Amino acid sequence: MQGPVCMILNGQRVDVADVPPTTTLLAWLRERRGLTGTKEGCSEGDCGACTVGLRELGPDGKLVTMPACACILPLPMLHGREIVTVERLAAPDGRLHPVQQAMAEGHGSQCGFCTPGFVMSMWCAYRSEPRPSPERADALLAGNLCRCTGYGPIVAAASAAHDLPRPEWDDDDAAAAPTRLATLPTTALDYEADGRRFIAPVTLDELADAAARNPDATILSGATDVGLWITKRHFAPATIIWTGRVAGLRELKEDDGTLTIGAAVTYREAAARLAAHWPDFGKLVARIAGAQIRALGTVGGNIANGSPIGDMPPALIALGARLQLRHGDKRREITLDDFFLDYGRQDRAPGEIVTAVTAPLPGKGLHLGCHKVSKRFDQDITSVLGCFALTLEDGHVRQARLAYGGMAGVPKRARAAEQALIGQPYTREQVDAAAAALSDDFAPLTDMRASARYRMQVAQNLLLRDYLERTTPGVETRLAPATEGV
Amino acid sequence: MALDKQTTAKREFKVVGTRPLRPDGVDKVTGKALYGADLTAPGMLVGKILRSPHPHARIRSIDTSAAEAAPGVKAVITHADFTLPDDEDMRDILVNCMAFNKALYDGHAVAAVAAISEAAAKAALKLIKVDYEVLPHVTDVDEAMKPDAPVIERGRQAETVGEGFSENVTSYCEFGHGDIEAGFTRADHVIERSFKTEATHQGYIEPHACLATFTTDGKADLWCCTQGQYMVRRVCSAIMDMEASQLRVTPSEIGGGFGGKTTVFIEPVALMLAKKSGRPVKIVMSRSDVLRASGPTCSSSMDVRIGMTKDGRITAGHAKLRYQGGAFPCGTVEMGAMAAFAAYDLEAVRTQGWNAMTNRPKQAAYRAPGAPMAIYAVESVVDELCQHLGLDPLDVRLKNAAKAGTKASYGVTFTDIGLSACLAAAKAHPHYAAPLGPGQGRGVSCGFWFNFGGDTCVTLNVNMDGTVSVTEGNPDIGGSRASIGMMAAEELGVPFDKVRTQVVDTASLGYNEVTDGSRVTFAVGLATIKAAQAAKAEMCRRAAMIWGIDAEAVTWEDGCAKPSGPNAGDFPPMTLAEIAAVSSQTGGPIAGHHEVNADGAGVSFGVHLVDVEVDPETGATKVLRYTVFQDAGKAVHPDYVEGQMQGGAVQGIGWALNEEYIYGEDGRLQNAGFLDYRVPVASDLPMIDTVILEIPNPGHPYGVRGVGETSIVPPLAAIANAVSRAAGVRLTELPMSPPRILAALDAARPKAAAE
Ligand SMILES: Cc1cc2nc3c(=O)[nH]c(=O)nc-3n(C[C@@H](O)[C@@H](O)[C@H](O)COP(=O)(O)OP(=O)(O)OC[C@H]3O[C@@H](n4cnc5c(N)ncnc54)[C@H](O)[C@@H]3O)c2cc1C
Ligand code: FES
Ligand code: FES
Repeated sequence: MQGPVCMILNGQRVDVADVPPTTTLLAWLRERRGLTGTKEGCSEGDCGACTVGLRELGPDGKLVTMPACACILPLPMLHGREIVTVERLAAPDGRLHPVQQAMAEGHGSQCGFCTPGFVMSMWCAYRSEPRPSPERADALLAGNLCRCTGYGPIVAAASAAHDLPRPEWDDDDAAAAPTRLATLPTTALDYEADGRRFIAPVTLDELADAAARNPDATILSGATDVGLWITKRHFAPATIIWTGRVAGLRELKEDDGTLTIGAAVTYREAAARLAAHWPDFGKLVARIAGAQIRALGTVGGNIANGSPIGDMPPALIALGARLQLRHGDKRREITLDDFFLDYGRQDRAPGEIVTAVTAPLPGKGLHLGCHKVSKRFDQDITSVLGCFALTLEDGHVRQARLAYGGMAGVPKRARAAEQALIGQPYTREQVDAAAAALSDDFAPLTDMRASARYRMQVAQNLLLRDYLERTTPGVETRLAPATEGV
Repeated sequence: MALDKQTTAKREFKVVGTRPLRPDGVDKVTGKALYGADLTAPGMLVGKILRSPHPHARIRSIDTSAAEAAPGVKAVITHADFTLPDDEDMRDILVNCMAFNKALYDGHAVAAVAAISEAAAKAALKLIKVDYEVLPHVTDVDEAMKPDAPVIERGRQAETVGEGFSENVTSYCEFGHGDIEAGFTRADHVIERSFKTEATHQGYIEPHACLATFTTDGKADLWCCTQGQYMVRRVCSAIMDMEASQLRVTPSEIGGGFGGKTTVFIEPVALMLAKKSGRPVKIVMSRSDVLRASGPTCSSSMDVRIGMTKDGRITAGHAKLRYQGGAFPCGTVEMGAMAAFAAYDLEAVRTQGWNAMTNRPKQAAYRAPGAPMAIYAVESVVDELCQHLGLDPLDVRLKNAAKAGTKASYGVTFTDIGLSACLAAAKAHPHYAAPLGPGQGRGVSCGFWFNFGGDTCVTLNVNMDGTVSVTEGNPDIGGSRASIGMMAAEELGVPFDKVRTQVVDTASLGYNEVTDGSRVTFAVGLATIKAAQAAKAEMCRRAAMIWGIDAEAVTWEDGCAKPSGPNAGDFPPMTLAEIAAVSSQTGGPIAGHHEVNADGAGVSFGVHLVDVEVDPETGATKVLRYTVFQDAGKAVHPDYVEGQMQGGAVQGIGWALNEEYIYGEDGRLQNAGFLDYRVPVASDLPMIDTVILEIPNPGHPYGVRGVGETSIVPPLAAIANAVSRAAGVRLTELPMSPPRILAALDAARPKAAAE
């Protein structure tokens, strides 16, 4: 259906028909709506100064409130959703929201430029979960940079907000949100402005059809990669096809011992389920970017972009995941490792879409260890990621799938190292042998994130660390206390 | 917080020392505060800058004709639109804002356009054709000093620079006293080490932004985020060849500066585009522009040699500092050379500094500019000596600490300073006695900063409703509006909420130096107190007039004018509000003002204590516990003092562990974004504990010293010392990123095995 982008902005219905589809939410808020409380610090999703509240109805019909980076969010992605900016939080009579009051009273801002972003991150958490522990607050705020305060007062304010009286106006607003959202169209969107198109189908058939008909179109999921092309490379494709409204792609299903993750499932949506089956996988997802990016970025996008340093593929490859693709009516399924052909090249035809990834649920004796190495703990790109799925039986390695990110042009299994382990007793000697075999598997690159030598050395050390963790329960091998949840 | 116990200030304060809500707090949490990019003007154009992709290239020609003809483009400018000012500093600033004959670094501005939209401006940039002759480049300081290095600009070398250096070396400085060679002979142990530190960026979250308007009769208005509107006026009027009075600069709310907004980068460009197009022009830098082309710190290469006796007495110290400050001459190394040994009372000390030009952006100030790296090197060697001689690092520092009467290596003799008090507080703190686990290490370091005063001007108006308006000229970067208002309230004896402090444009108040050098609470505070005193004297005079007694017979107490004694007469006290209400009948409005070139800022010392854990498998470091001890003179608003101490410590932690400029072989900056220029996030840090000490500064009526800068100085060495102790190997390069630590561990391993 041709038509405008329909959304709720700060409680009011807004229909937009006149901006190019690659206009970011941030630019639109600031330049078209005069809402300058939302700040621009980087336009790359890194600093959180542009954080807004994003609301939609979840699959169960319940209201979801999550933080999002407005700077890399193409405006049409708000079709059918609600946006809340910092200007909306205080009561109409001027009373501050508890998160605002706690920040003001606790001296959580110095220069204040980061403050609206922090306030919005805190507000989303305030609406969604109980008082955060300091560790939880760190995790909730890892996507927001502050250069003035050293974070202490801000982390304290995230908790102190819960000591203040409930903001009844905000509770009422949340209660009314589902009704507001229900007034927005649920049909497909075909938006055109400035000679460029943005298509948002609602069924898988429509999506597959649209993609096959427009093989040059850009498939868009969470825009956490594509949004950066827009802001950094001035990318302005003629046609964009967005997966985010296809209900079938946002499902997490379990049957016959298999977990199926729809391609448009976000990190945020997948995290709990992954953590339930593979605790380390949950911790890995919790370390991808910050909460704002995890609310938008999708599993399918992380696979489809083919990056050698994406965090999902190594973990999924280690689990023996399979990828489902669809081209028009044609469906096919391949092992995930086979999808990654070479640096920048994947086994995907133009017009073909990734629809889901499946992984066998853990069988007896299987344990997945995920070890991400980056310069910063949170909100950082992987230098090396090692994901090791081992099935141990009577002290022997029955099955081993070792997958690495950051070690080659693609996420890749370490076949030689696997062979050094399979069928062998699980001992330090065998693990050392597997580590040595890694040099047959990989010839990593040097770049500004890490040198080849560092990568190889760490890749080897990670195998050893994984061994220590499996064989010496309670051993402390990791520095930072891993924070739970996303 | 040991504030109360350790307060040594004798004076009783009512407002100063309390923690009222900051006056700008609500605007900031509601998104109402207006920053550089938040203002628009009717008919406004978008300004965009074309930047050199080459680190060093001669500009043969620039063809702007296609861009000029492009739809929506209203002006295109290059260096040809500017005239070089006579003044050398102004010339360097202009050439940094717009390349003249050569592009001097990756990201150097070469042309700019103003167009009706962002898209039109970006499209026009692509149409500008620059003919470059690419030249050899150099970005490393040691390389740049070699005689055969590519020369950035000839004719900039000072005569004091000796033989054997490239022309890139622009200046040499030397400080110290005593015979160091004799000192080294007296030592039981001498350690000499070389260090390198990479450049870092202030990392303010708000990118530079400004909005310029020109009227047809040659007057101009500029709205911008800056640490000093008067500086912007001075520089821009010189560059635009206009009289200062014709240019009004209004500072926006500032989203962080830390020294990086004490100069200009885009303002002259916006002004020229506005002049040429006849329309308002807004320029907002992108984050990558900020990293590539604003003013990061110097990078450094240093040799430090220190001798110590077995019982921990330093017998001599010698530091050789080589800094690069980008493609222009830069004096920062001098600060480093002055600060390097400031914490110590030494008989023999010598520091030497060289500055070199490289193909990097012109450095700008960053919190205590020049000091962190020099003190990092010195404090690392002191720590290693302690390790070697089996001495307690705090005892050794206490033994050698500078105190009142110490002649500093840079020539001055200290008066009351708080270093020993900080060291003693650290020694007594539970943190210092807490047990360490395996793989963990504890580091300490001293830090120092000079602090400045400078030209300052304040007006204080007593309003007829009994409120007070303070007008100051220094953008508030750390809560100074609150502190200034508190000092006014204190002096006048009125509640804090009756005082509102505002930072005003250049037309509304006389000259003020930029917000830097930790000067604002000290110097503006001083001027505010003096202005309040003038207002009080006037109010006493008015009361005297009403009572019909001598002005000398009236005193000011608790916010009221009172007869000074029984002899003066028996009149009920008059409050400020009562006097103000009738001011019209007693001679007109009441105000006080004060203009001063403030002196006596009072140096500041701090001591940091940190525990870290190093992961031997990945080289990652976790900061486990951090305590800052610092002498604040008098903490006007203790929360803000703590805020400065914590914020500076965290910036220093970033510098120590992860932040760095990474230039590729091609001379281009590889990590021009916040994802790869990694400032710490919340989960990287423990709660930073603070202990404020108050050793009053005799140069300020309330004892205030600057506190904003010292806190970034100690973390580099404190963390390096902790990491070195945890890892069992001395780290001599910053940042100590995981790959560097792992490489150092690696290098130490075979040696350890062989021993
Ligand atoms: C600040 C920041 C931090 C980050 N940190 C991490 C990190 O720690 N670890 C990590 O792994 N990643 C990180 N990323 C990148 C990560 O968020 C993305 O890789 C994300 O997973 C991509 O998903 P998306 O849905 O946003 O994809 P989009 O940006 O929408 O698309 C990405 C690519 O996939 C294609 N595509 C998307 N969906 C499909 C589909 N269904 N079928 C076919 N093609 C499709 C698109 O055409 C595009 O080429 C970070 C990003 C940012 C901005
Ligand atoms: S502006 Fe920095 S994350 Fe959006
Ligand atoms: S208060 Fe300045 S960046 Fe956070």
